Amino acid sequence: MLLEVRNLVKEFGGVVANADISLEIERGMTVGLIGPNGAGKTTLFNCIAGYYKPTGGKVFFGGKEITGWPAHQVAKIGIARTFQGMKIMPNLTVEENVMVGAFCRTRDRQIAKKKAQEILEGLNLVQEINIYPTELPIATQKRIELGRALATNPQLLMLDEIAAGLNPIETKEIIQVLKRMKEERDLTLFLTEHVMEFVMTISEVVTVMAAGRKIAEGPPKEVAKQERVIEAYLGKRYAKGQ
Amino acid sequence: MRQVLKNILSLEDRPRSEKIGFIIFIVIILVFPWVVEGSYARAVMIKFLLFALFGLGWNLIGGYGGQVDLGQAKNVGFGAYATALMMVWWKVPFWLTLLPGMAFATAESFAVAYPMFRLRGHYFAIATLCVALVWKELFVFWDWTGGARGVEIPIRPTPDFAYMQFGSPIYYHYFIFLLFIAQLLFMNWFRKSKLGYQLQAIRDNEEAAASLGINVTNTKVITYCITAALGAMGGSFMAAYYLYIDPDFVMPLDLSILIAMTVMVGGAGSMWGPILGAAILIPLDMYLGAWLGGQKRLGIDYMIYALIMMFIAAREPKGIWGVFERMRRRR
Repeated sequence: MLLEVRNLVKEFGGVVANADISLEIERGMTVGLIGPNGAGKTTLFNCIAGYYKPTGGKVFFGGKEITGWPAHQVAKIGIARTFQGMKIMPNLTVEENVMVGAFCRTRDRQIAKKKAQEILEGLNLVQEINIYPTELPIATQKRIELGRALATNPQLLMLDEIAAGLNPIETKEIIQVLKRMKEERDLTLFLTEHVMEFVMTISEVVTVMAAGRKIAEGPPKEVAKQERVIEAYLGKRYAKGQ
Repeated sequence: MRQVLKNILSLEDRPRSEKIGFIIFIVIILVFPWVVEGSYARAVMIKFLLFALFGLGWNLIGGYGGQVDLGQAKNVGFGAYATALMMVWWKVPFWLTLLPGMAFATAESFAVAYPMFRLRGHYFAIATLCVALVWKELFVFWDWTGGARGVEIPIRPTPDFAYMQFGSPIYYHYFIFLLFIAQLLFMNWFRKSKLGYQLQAIRDNEEAAASLGINVTNTKVITYCITAALGAMGGSFMAAYYLYIDPDFVMPLDLSILIAMTVMVGGAGSMWGPILGAAILIPLDMYLGAWLGGQKRLGIDYMIYALIMMFIAAREPKGIWGVFERMRRRR
């Protein structure tokens, strides 16, 4: 088991954003996390990645408890993430953005540079190496953020809505890139997404959340048929199948 | 080792125009005291080099780190007082006072840094400002620091290298130039180092930086301490050069702000920005002051000075160096 979340609770004041969430992700899997707006997907991500301290429950990574670890230590142990609504470094070039990721594992500038170039090559971004990311289209910026996360040599890559704002062609491209990267780097993927087509094609297992709770889990096709899932997305009337 | 040396000395990633400009700049500084005879012009030049030195140091936390620190004067004061007091009390040679001053500034900064970096943006700036003002008041209040009267370093009967007392300002010119070059080389290493990149990542986006394994608080604290040490180094020089210091001279708010201003006007977060800023603001300040301040038009020099700074701040957030960068990118 690579990642294990046990009875995780996160409250903000009186609002329960995550209630008793448990899930397990095996090494090499691709797991999708879906749910309507406000279901608590990003909160769960932030609890795992060290941006929020969980109110209760435990998180294990590779058998080691990492509950409440700060974000930089979570990154060091091998969990990388991208952000919903990108967080790219605008005053560093594309190459430097990725180099900062590579500095997670080395002090040496030459090694970091080589690593960044290798990753950017894999993402077809060689042309853009010396450009500032804000001058590039959103789809390209998303790939840079992906490359930056990959440069930290993660075992688990958590993607928070990486396909949001992309058109269907760009979405297909990023699916291909992700599949290739997963193969090459032996990654485990954990992703949240609103674009259903994206999650359903790429995930082996889908976890569904609604109103802070986990309501379903299983292979994408089965989950999509479950009454509770349809209800969460479309309301009770549709769930009864009228 | 060879790699480190190469990183310190190499400007290979900079365009050729910059390298040529840099060489011309060095040559001008080197021949300056031989060509220019006027003592006022020489004093202006030394003050420029001193503030370029201050700017380079402040650029670490303020430019690359994006943390607006309005308390650098306290570190200048620590350096200046360490040198002056040790020379007066125990007749310690100047060279042995440099390190204690820097060490004290580093230790003090380390002590206040963790609580201060819980604050962000304006609140951090206010905190730095307050800490510096408290120190200044303490130095005024205490007797052992000479209080508001300050400290005077006795002039030695003969020029003495150990105590940094020379017969001609030329020596001070070359000495400050040496410190300046040393710091410039350090900056050249720094901007390409892991710490440099991580600091810039924090400036641009703290959350993203943390996701890449960067300990945001520690990185800021380390940088803040280095900045402090570099400020104290300049302060030590000030004591030895001016031979008289008091809290109003080496620790005032004006000094903190002027240091931050030179960097912002020149271009924060760039290698040459602080030098450019000092090259514009210091002569401007000194010549405007001499030209306008003396006649009954008191205050006009400050107004002109303020106007220029406001204009640059409003039109060019990336400073004058930002204009050059933009022109180059357009080509």
